[in-house]
Amino acid sequence: MDLRRIFWENKVIPNTILGVRMGRPTTVESSGKRLLPAVVAITLLLPLLFAGTALAADLSLSSKTYGLLYQRELAGGQKDRYAPLYEYLSTDVANLGGKPLSFHFNGWGRVDLDKDSGSGSTSGDVGSLYLEYLHPEGNAQAKLGRFFLTEGAAMEIIDGAFVKTTTPVGLGVSLYGGTPVEYSILNGSQRGSSLYGGRVFFAKAGFTEIGASYLKENGSFQGRDRELYGGDLWLRVAGPVEFTGQAMYNESMKEMASQRYAVRIVPGSTFDISAGYESYTYKGLFQTALTPQFVSPSVDNNDKVRTIFGIVDWAFVPGWTLEVAAKHIRHDNSDPGDAKRGEVGVRYSYNDKKDVAGLSAAFVTADQAENEYREYRGFASYSPSKLRVTLDALTQRYKEEIYGKKNAYQVVGTVGYQVLAALQLSGNVTYTQSPNFQEDWAGLVRLAYDLGISTGGKK
Amino acid sequence: MMRRSHAVKIFGAALLALLFGCSAVSQTPSVPPKHPEDLPPGRVDCLECHKDVSTGALKPYATVRHSRVFINSHGTYARQGQNLCSSCHKPEFCQTCHAGREELKPNVKMGDRPDRMAPHRGDYLITHRIDGRIDPGSCFRCHGNKNDARCKQCHK
Repeated sequence: MDLRRIFWENKVIPNTILGVRMGRPTTVESSGKRLLPAVVAITLLLPLLFAGTALAADLSLSSKTYGLLYQRELAGGQKDRYAPLYEYLSTDVANLGGKPLSFHFNGWGRVDLDKDSGSGSTSGDVGSLYLEYLHPEGNAQAKLGRFFLTEGAAMEIIDGAFVKTTTPVGLGVSLYGGTPVEYSILNGSQRGSSLYGGRVFFAKAGFTEIGASYLKENGSFQGRDRELYGGDLWLRVAGPVEFTGQAMYNESMKEMASQRYAVRIVPGSTFDISAGYESYTYKGLFQTALTPQFVSPSVDNNDKVRTIFGIVDWAFVPGWTLEVAAKHIRHDNSDPGDAKRGEVGVRYSYNDKKDVAGLSAAFVTADQAENEYREYRGFASYSPSKLRVTLDALTQRYKEEIYGKKNAYQVVGTVGYQVLAALQLSGNVTYTQSPNFQEDWAGLVRLAYDLGISTGGKK
Repeated sequence: MMRRSHAVKIFGAALLALLFGCSAVSQTPSVPPKHPEDLPPGRVDCLECHKDVSTGALKPYATVRHSRVFINSHGTYARQGQNLCSSCHKPEFCQTCHAGREELKPNVKMGDRPDRMAPHRGDYLITHRIDGRIDPGSCFRCHGNKNDARCKQCHK
């Protein structure tokens, strides 16, 4: 019995949706319940928290409410209706007390107005919640709290601290430490208990930045801690030609985890081309997997991937952009085997860049027919005055049938209206036909509120 | 084990020496924490206003031009520093995709922005089986040990 294939093909989920298969949640843990009151409380109390420095502070507040409505038919013919209501809140307060100190928060919560749509009837998460000091010179900075960190070998969400500075000669250093924010659904594995590391680097303006980094996460990942050594390089070789490199060695597994090298030519604001090589080993990269699809027997962890890629972005006429991308993915193992993906698309921006229309096609060819498919997509938006209308259509054609079907379609139509300068109301209707869905209609209502008390922009 | 412990201490000491030995922080002005002017809608081209090299990020503005090339490789640049990014993007922008725990797909949240690069369009429950087989490394970065609310529905 090929366990890997069974895992990937999800043959273990024979339940149906509107007459066909659907992976509805069955046994999932409810770990975000306790966070919801905290998310709401933090956001509501925030203005009071900073009341003393309100005059000096630069406050922005964003609220996005999503109400979804859809129905699922389960095995046995039972029809369940779902109406989850999501609230995404974010607050950024800069210039606290007239100092280069800022506070950032974002989080979300869900309440189900009908059947449970996920892990229980409520859920939520705090994405980030931290104080940041940004020194006016040398990009020296410090963060304290929960934040998303990308620094050398690290791409983590941590509850902890981060400091970074650059000296006058261009040498710099960063250090971080804390508790990793991870989630485990793999039996017998727990998330890492602590994580720390740092990066030393040298940067010369407009010419190069080269860094060496170290990361250590204490835990039991495949029975070991995670320990990484990283290297990164950006080098402006000549004029518009630059070279980037990034490599990570997994000391715990004694394996090169990943490498990526690319040459890029950016001669101006209309043309951009890049080509490169990327590789990773399953054993080195997937060591910290806490979800079962990345470990044996779902995958053979002795496999290695080598990819050659190229991308072109060419604004050939003002407003019109041509995008072409290709990559050749080679596996050491014959299963799953090699694959090639080619993609071509054109985009047209108009109405003072408020609107974009695009067409694209992608083709995946592979050693194994089950991995081959084509994808075609078209989209457009139209935003006269306060109204905004968008249409997005996508179709995928699989070479081999999946659950008896070779085609999938999805069309998303939206209509929105700018009620106030800071308030927009919009709605989506999504129609889907796929191997999972005989026919599916889903609705979404979106209420977006963005308030800023000073000029300046962030997205 | 002992040698590694010493190596870590030496590494830490070297870092501190570098930090405090050179003492003074570079005089180069930092990237402002917030872009001083309102940003226009859509995909912004820094080169429309900025020339040459960003004094804070120490890279040419052409390097961070938000072309398809940059978007595909933005992680490479972000691993050398986030300050220039965070001048225009709030933390929630990154975490639209790079989330710790998330239930809504980026393209569902941004259904009214079909111009944005948003992974997992269409019925991705089907397509991810193919993409996951041929290039699982691209999935792992976001779904390996976090952001697994949807994974766990089937992968147990």
